Amino acid sequence: MRPEIIALAFAVGACNWAFRYFPTRARLHELSPRSRLARLLAATGPAAIGTLFVASALPLARAATDAASLALIAGVGAVIAVFALGRSVVGATLAGAVAYGLVIWVEGWLVGA
Amino acid sequence: MTRAGAAGGGFAAGLAQSLPIVMGYLPIAFAFGIAARGIGLSGSEAVALSVIIYSGGAQFVALALIGSGAPFLVSALTLIGMGLRHLLYGPTLMRHAGPAPGRRLAWAWAWGLTDEVFATALGALARGRKFTEPYMLGLGVGAYGAWVAGTAAGALAGDGALAGYPAIEAGLGFMLTALFLALLLSILSRAQLPVLAVASAATVAVTLLWSGTAGILAGMLAGAAAGLLPRVRGGGNAA
Repeated sequence: MRPEIIALAFAVGACNWAFRYFPTRARLHELSPRSRLARLLAATGPAAIGTLFVASALPLARAATDAASLALIAGVGAVIAVFALGRSVVGATLAGAVAYGLVIWVEGWLVGA
Repeated sequence: MTRAGAAGGGFAAGLAQSLPIVMGYLPIAFAFGIAARGIGLSGSEAVALSVIIYSGGAQFVALALIGSGAPFLVSALTLIGMGLRHLLYGPTLMRHAGPAPGRRLAWAWAWGLTDEVFATALGALARGRKFTEPYMLGLGVGAYGAWVAGTAAGALAGDGALAGYPAIEAGLGFMLTALFLALLLSILSRAQLPVLAVASAATVAVTLLWSGTAGILAGMLAGAAAGLLPRVRGGGNAA
């Protein structure tokens, strides 16, 4: 292994660990729920999850071939439908992936037929 | 996960809850392993990047930087900057973990606080799961193991390993998007709609105008800042 690659990995990995670990040491529970910091942190979770969903869906939406658009609609629809039926995150996630892959497979089969 | 399923909070429960993350990480890490070999890294260097850095976005950018021969300092600062968003995750998680949450093993489980692990843990807490360190370790170990194993498999397989199975590749590639959507649905409440709207708009705008990494940071910060706006009556703040 080349030392410059490993040195880069350690420099970045050490900072990643520090960014993830040291903030967990903050003592925050005694904060008043009405305080600005408490409200900021309460909003951070939904904001982060919403952001990550949009950021991961955006490249798929921008790909915008007919097959990709249909697959995206099917995948999102399957996640919503299965979650509404069972309130299961695992089930909804797997259903979404299966629906997405299935549409791609059917489109490929129709093109090849 | 149902409320009833929220009772057990141990390592096994965390490991089981990591399944969607595992399914999402395997193909992405596999792709990373293939790409790493493609720019001339050895299999052990590819795996070392996943073991030591453990951040998908940063690792793919690292390949671009290494491949283009960027100077060490430029590469390091760029990749370190990409990890800044993780500063928000620990305090947010601990804020939802109840009074006096365990931190004895935080040095270990916090290493696993990737975007997906953070989102999954936060969703579980919002749905009533009790915060425990073994649960966090289980969640983290499952995800980390999948990331490293996927990288190793990709580095071994080399180019074009999934080329003959585009539907499987596409389905696996959609897994993380599906996971984030399911997690979003699990914590959704009326009071959070302004936060989500602001976060989404900022993510789209900054991604289109600048870059995906900047879009993620902008979305999180703008959405969190929206939490300071006057509250809408009648909603809880689940997460």
